[in-house]
Amino acid sequence: MTATAPSYPSVVPESAPALVLDGITKTYRSKAGAVDALRGVTYHFPRGSFTAVMGPSGSGKSTLLQCAAGLDQPTTGVVVLGGVTLRGLSEVALTKLRREEMGFVFQAYNLLPSLTVYDNVALPLRLTGKRPQRAEVHAVLEQVGLGDKVKRRPAELSGGQQQRVAIARALITRPSVFFADEPTGALDSNSSRQVLSLLREATDRAGQTVVMVTHDPVAAAYAERVVFLSDGLIAGHLDRGTPGQIAAAMSDLER
Amino acid sequence: MFFLSSQTIRRHRHLYAGSFVALAVGVFLLGLAATATAATIAHGTANLVSITVTTLGDADAAPRPVKVPMSGEDVSGLQVVLSLVGTISGFITIFVIASTFAFAVASRRQELGLLRLIGATPRQVRRMIIGEALVVAVAASLTGALLAQLATPLLLSQASYTELAPVKLEPASPWVPLAIAVGIGLVVAMLGARSAARRAGRVGPIDALREASLESARIGPVRVIFGLLFLAGAIAMLALIRPSSGEGVVPLSMFTPMVLVVALTLLAPLIVPLLGRLWAMPLVAWTHVSGRLARSNVIATPRRSASLAAPILAISAVAGSMVLSLSFAADSAAATIRDTLRAPIVVTAQSMPTVSGVGAVDAGLPVQFVRAGAEDAQLEDAEGIDPAIASQTRALTPLSGDLSQLTGNTVAVSKQMAGFEHYQVGDEVPATFLDHQAVKLRIVAIVPDGLGVNPDFLLPLDLVRQHNPTAKPERLFVQPAPGVDPTELVTRLEHAVLATAWEADQADGVRQGNQLGLVLLLGPAAFYSAIAIANTLLMGSLQRRQEFVTSRLLGATPNQIRRMVLWESSLVGLVALSLGTAITVTVGILIRHAMTAGVADVPVTVPWGILLGIGGLCLTLAVGSALAPTSYILRVVSQETVVHQRQ
Repeated sequence: MTATAPSYPSVVPESAPALVLDGITKTYRSKAGAVDALRGVTYHFPRGSFTAVMGPSGSGKSTLLQCAAGLDQPTTGVVVLGGVTLRGLSEVALTKLRREEMGFVFQAYNLLPSLTVYDNVALPLRLTGKRPQRAEVHAVLEQVGLGDKVKRRPAELSGGQQQRVAIARALITRPSVFFADEPTGALDSNSSRQVLSLLREATDRAGQTVVMVTHDPVAAAYAERVVFLSDGLIAGHLDRGTPGQIAAAMSDLER
Repeated sequence: MFFLSSQTIRRHRHLYAGSFVALAVGVFLLGLAATATAATIAHGTANLVSITVTTLGDADAAPRPVKVPMSGEDVSGLQVVLSLVGTISGFITIFVIASTFAFAVASRRQELGLLRLIGATPRQVRRMIIGEALVVAVAASLTGALLAQLATPLLLSQASYTELAPVKLEPASPWVPLAIAVGIGLVVAMLGARSAARRAGRVGPIDALREASLESARIGPVRVIFGLLFLAGAIAMLALIRPSSGEGVVPLSMFTPMVLVVALTLLAPLIVPLLGRLWAMPLVAWTHVSGRLARSNVIATPRRSASLAAPILAISAVAGSMVLSLSFAADSAAATIRDTLRAPIVVTAQSMPTVSGVGAVDAGLPVQFVRAGAEDAQLEDAEGIDPAIASQTRALTPLSGDLSQLTGNTVAVSKQMAGFEHYQVGDEVPATFLDHQAVKLRIVAIVPDGLGVNPDFLLPLDLVRQHNPTAKPERLFVQPAPGVDPTELVTRLEHAVLATAWEADQADGVRQGNQLGLVLLLGPAAFYSAIAIANTLLMGSLQRRQEFVTSRLLGATPNQIRRMVLWESSLVGLVALSLGTAITVTVGILIRHAMTAGVADVPVTVPWGILLGIGGLCLTLAVGSALAPTSYILRVVSQETVVHQRQ
């Protein structure tokens, strides 16, 4: 791993980046005092890239993801997603942007338990006010290998199947950026592989951008680049690393 | 979003079961009150003995003839009770519905956050909650209305030929009253759901990622301001309105606690943790870990605890205040009767033989007449008296005017009636006696109120005899001749008792009358609140499955969890009851102060048994309905654990 200065980026992509973080800081204030979760992160996520964000617990990975997706407001700094600056957007404008441009997959509790698999996947379209096309929903479910589970409810599915439904739901709106927070954290290795392959496919086939927070070197190895975060700062990156190399870099960081 | 509402409602059956039951019972009670009122109205328009009188008319109303039914056929007593029952039911319903919906939203933060995350706007989330509420409200209101329709004949057969409605009541057409009840049910549900929906709209997408869905303890400044406004309003109501009769006390002792309940509920997220901390002190000291856990659970989720406390607070405050106020009203009535009656002996007969030692016999003749007002006419109770005798046997020293002029077409009016109608000495009261003769009665004096002894209108004895020759006295006030000992005289008279004994009898009569009113008014409300209390606590416990599972895995025994729930529900119950007690005491003291102004030595009767009974019942219900589902969950959980271990 090559240690780089925090003033990354080194690679400027040909096209405009899908997601730009510019000088992001985030300070949480509580009774115990102020905590700096992010201390100035600048990074450009190229269009069609699969980036893993790694770091020890408390390094600010999740905060980074939340700020990047507009779920949380950074204390200072600017987030630009698909050419749109998030700061200053109204709650409704932000919601519409999320609906159209972003897809989310989290470790757990991704699905509405009361809806069938079909209805969960169709929900983003319904929220947009569109009538979901049966064929379209079925196609996405086929794509994630759940064409036969259309009428099930989440409680009747395994953890891996639930994650794939979540991916199908994210795919249906053809978002430009996928945000994934420990998507394989609760899965066995077989299910993990399926989920990660689906994310990989999204970038390779549809040119979508994936930002994935993980602590698992095997998962991170699916990404073409791993960005390491430490104490709220980018500590370095590793391109096309094997799980072994990534694990070594991580233990260096935690030392 | 309606698609979503109908899907999610199925999932949250147990959350909405509470709202459904609460609303269905509320609409049931409202519907019953409405159909019964319709029956009394239908009866009122049927043929019955009445007197037709032309009203006086004023700037806003032309004179018109009105029929005044005779007291023997009067159903207005039942109508008043029904309207009060309807009001109480409506209030408790609004209250319970708002808190069950708020609860349903508070327990679903993560799910609502997920919806926001995948692209639902706050408006869509709000609409979803409103949609859910609408589905529940329509189903519940129709169920309630149907039940009311089925129960109406039963109620009417029970109410017929009673003191309140001395006639046979037949069911009237149910469509209008039931439509009104259903309409009120829907409006109430929408009002309750609106604030819950607004709170749901404020859930952010980031809430989907927060494992612990702990709500923030802060409450908005608007809520605090409204809470304080209601508080001030209630205190002002109590300080300004001074009821001088038992009849004025009933509505006041009903409405002021309602306003106070609303105030305290708005402020509850601030108050509940404070009181919870206080009550938890002995718990923490006595128990090992369960008391400590219970305290944290109550304090850490002030909104949740406030929702659970709300129905207990509502019923304990309203019921407590009414019971205490009416008891004080009876006390004050007893004191008034004691002060008004000066004669030491009362004979409960229509006449008495001449016996030596009797000084004066005050044989008042009861009579009724119809008094025409500007817009309506009313049947009034009056008594024909001999002013010379009556001013010896009763406290009748006029506040203004001269009682000795009570001859011919004249009348003396009580201070209270003069206050209501703005009568002054010299004014004329248009009266129609039951022999259909109309006369104008000139007011010659305003006399002190003598509730229980004197009616509001005192007439000359001759006037009463002239219009009602068959009038007979109901009781005689006897003054012994100078130098005769009343205790000796009373032994020589038939049907005679000492005034003190008669006064006690009268006070008992007032108390018993109040008791009947309380049962009628509070019965349905108490029934409803019991359901509501059980409801909210049941919902609350069923929500906590995950927490119980975790605690079991951490090594807590089922008994430890049960103890924790026991302490927790007791804590919430105690907090609610202390607030209810505070309201009861405030209302009781202020109403007593207002009623006893100017009366000395008023006895104090606190109905401890009933008050403690209300508290005990609330607490038992609260603890029982929290423990039952907990035991159920624990049983299911332990079975699941066994299954998991086998796999």
